[in-house]
Amino acid sequence: MIPLQHFLVLSGVLFSLGIYGVLARRHAVLILMSVELMLQAVNINMIAFAVYFDPEAFVGLIFAIFIITIAAAEVGLALAIVLRIFRNRATANVDEVNIMKW
Amino acid sequence: MNPDWSLLAPEYILAGWAAMVISVDLFFGRVRKDYLAYLAALGALVAALVSLIYINDDKPFGALLQIDNYATFFRVFFCLIAFFTCLISARFVQERVIHAGEYYALILVTTIGGIYMAAAEELLTAYIGLELLSFSLYVLTSFLKFDLRSNEGGLKYMLLGAFSSAILLYGISLIYGVTGTTNFSEIAQALSGNNDDLRFPMLLGLVLIISGLGFKVAAVPFHMWTPDAYEGAPLPITAFISAISKSAGFALFLKLFAEGFMPVIDEWRWIVAGLAATTMVFGNLVAIQQRNIKRLLAYSSIGQVGFLMMGIAAISPDAASAMLLHLAGYVISNLAVFVAIIICYNQTGKENIDDFAGLAERAPFVAMCLGASLLSLAGMPLFAGFVTKFILFQAAANQDMLWLAGVAVLMSFVSLYYYLVVIKEMYLGQPEAPTRFPIVPLEYAALAVLTAGVFFVGLYPQPFFDATANATDLLFAGTSAASVSSGPPAP
Repeated sequence: MIPLQHFLVLSGVLFSLGIYGVLARRHAVLILMSVELMLQAVNINMIAFAVYFDPEAFVGLIFAIFIITIAAAEVGLALAIVLRIFRNRATANVDEVNIMKW
Repeated sequence: MNPDWSLLAPEYILAGWAAMVISVDLFFGRVRKDYLAYLAALGALVAALVSLIYINDDKPFGALLQIDNYATFFRVFFCLIAFFTCLISARFVQERVIHAGEYYALILVTTIGGIYMAAAEELLTAYIGLELLSFSLYVLTSFLKFDLRSNEGGLKYMLLGAFSSAILLYGISLIYGVTGTTNFSEIAQALSGNNDDLRFPMLLGLVLIISGLGFKVAAVPFHMWTPDAYEGAPLPITAFISAISKSAGFALFLKLFAEGFMPVIDEWRWIVAGLAATTMVFGNLVAIQQRNIKRLLAYSSIGQVGFLMMGIAAISPDAASAMLLHLAGYVISNLAVFVAIIICYNQTGKENIDDFAGLAERAPFVAMCLGASLLSLAGMPLFAGFVTKFILFQAAANQDMLWLAGVAVLMSFVSLYYYLVVIKEMYLGQPEAPTRFPIVPLEYAALAVLTAGVFFVGLYPQPFFDATANATDLLFAGTSAASVSSGPPAP
């Protein structure tokens, strides 16, 4: 059996890539994709922990299913808002969406 | 295991009512024009009354929710917030919003999300409640389709919210890995053993959870979305976000940390205390230079979050009930402020602080209520803010957090300055037109009720104090009372 550490390293790398993407990308859709990457990292974690530590109750597997569902809803919602911005401003670059400043 | 479905009656009422509001909007266009707001408000009121049935109950729903006084307190609280939001939306929505049905239905659905966050006994349920609340608020924030500021506020809120919930989830997954469970009390059991070799993932999970929840309640440095979402959102929704998103966030924060993470209190207490101090200093100092009243209130609410987080840092039965009391006082005062601002906005369509010049001549009653509730937010005696802050600061000082209480007192004085600027404009400024505002009975009634609430909490806080003490009683029943009452060890 593959040791648990492999899964944790994979999910850690995915999660860090996702954070990097959110901070470095300027296009709203790419930021969303990076957030998805972070959520997938969470899923890997959840499933790995469920299989290794919690094989009878599998809370982690259920958690992963809910995360997938909620992530899908999140993308639908976010794309609707991005589409709205694009229609009104003809841009989806978050640096150009800057009417409000402190 | 057969859960008792009847325990969820208030949520069923809210969900059914939301569906009804949408279909009434679809099929009876005439009702939409005038009565939809009152229909939705009635639904929230009915749900609040039905929740009162469960006072002093302590029943689990499966292993997912716990219907106890804590849940009942927040049920009534959230339903009343939704009630007032629907009432004060009436004129605003008629004049400025298309798709009124979805607007009111989403307000009711948001309330369900908040209730689940407060009642959850388990991380998955809490997370789903949190996303239900957040998703509805994202939509409501960007509800003005053709308003660029609303679009922008919604986009920022949405992107940062998604980012923060991913962070929260990673923290949850680590805690699940360390403890093997997502149930709050089982987490506490697993953590109370000796687990030195798992200290690093546990700490990382804690930090990630604190930052994820910090985003939701808008604690510095996770507050970036707050001013923009507040400014962009339709005004009644700004009021709604400031009330429900904060209090639901804190309901979950308090319950999770009091029930789940109590055994490792020494690890997180100083993180939360540090966050509380930075939040109140930053929020109150930046609020001083704001010109837009919504942004001013956004930063002032960040400052209030600092005070509330102090209650979590100083966690103890006293501090928890003081925190709920301050939360209730803050929400009542804040809603009163927003109702007054909405009345002015409906009349003038402006939202800068200068635009409130001479309000005392144009609408004396509104100016008086606005002044009273602003003073309450600043923590003046006679008003709600003073009593609740006093009890909260005292509870913090009792838990060896005297330095934090000192910072909080100092920042309360700073906050007095920017609230007084608004009051000065209202009473000493010259009105641009001498005409009086027409009196809108329902809005004035809502304002009068909320202002009366501000005075009531300020002068006779005993009933509220009993309610919050009852609500938090059971939170600490499971954890060892010794670690709470003996006070924190030296840092």
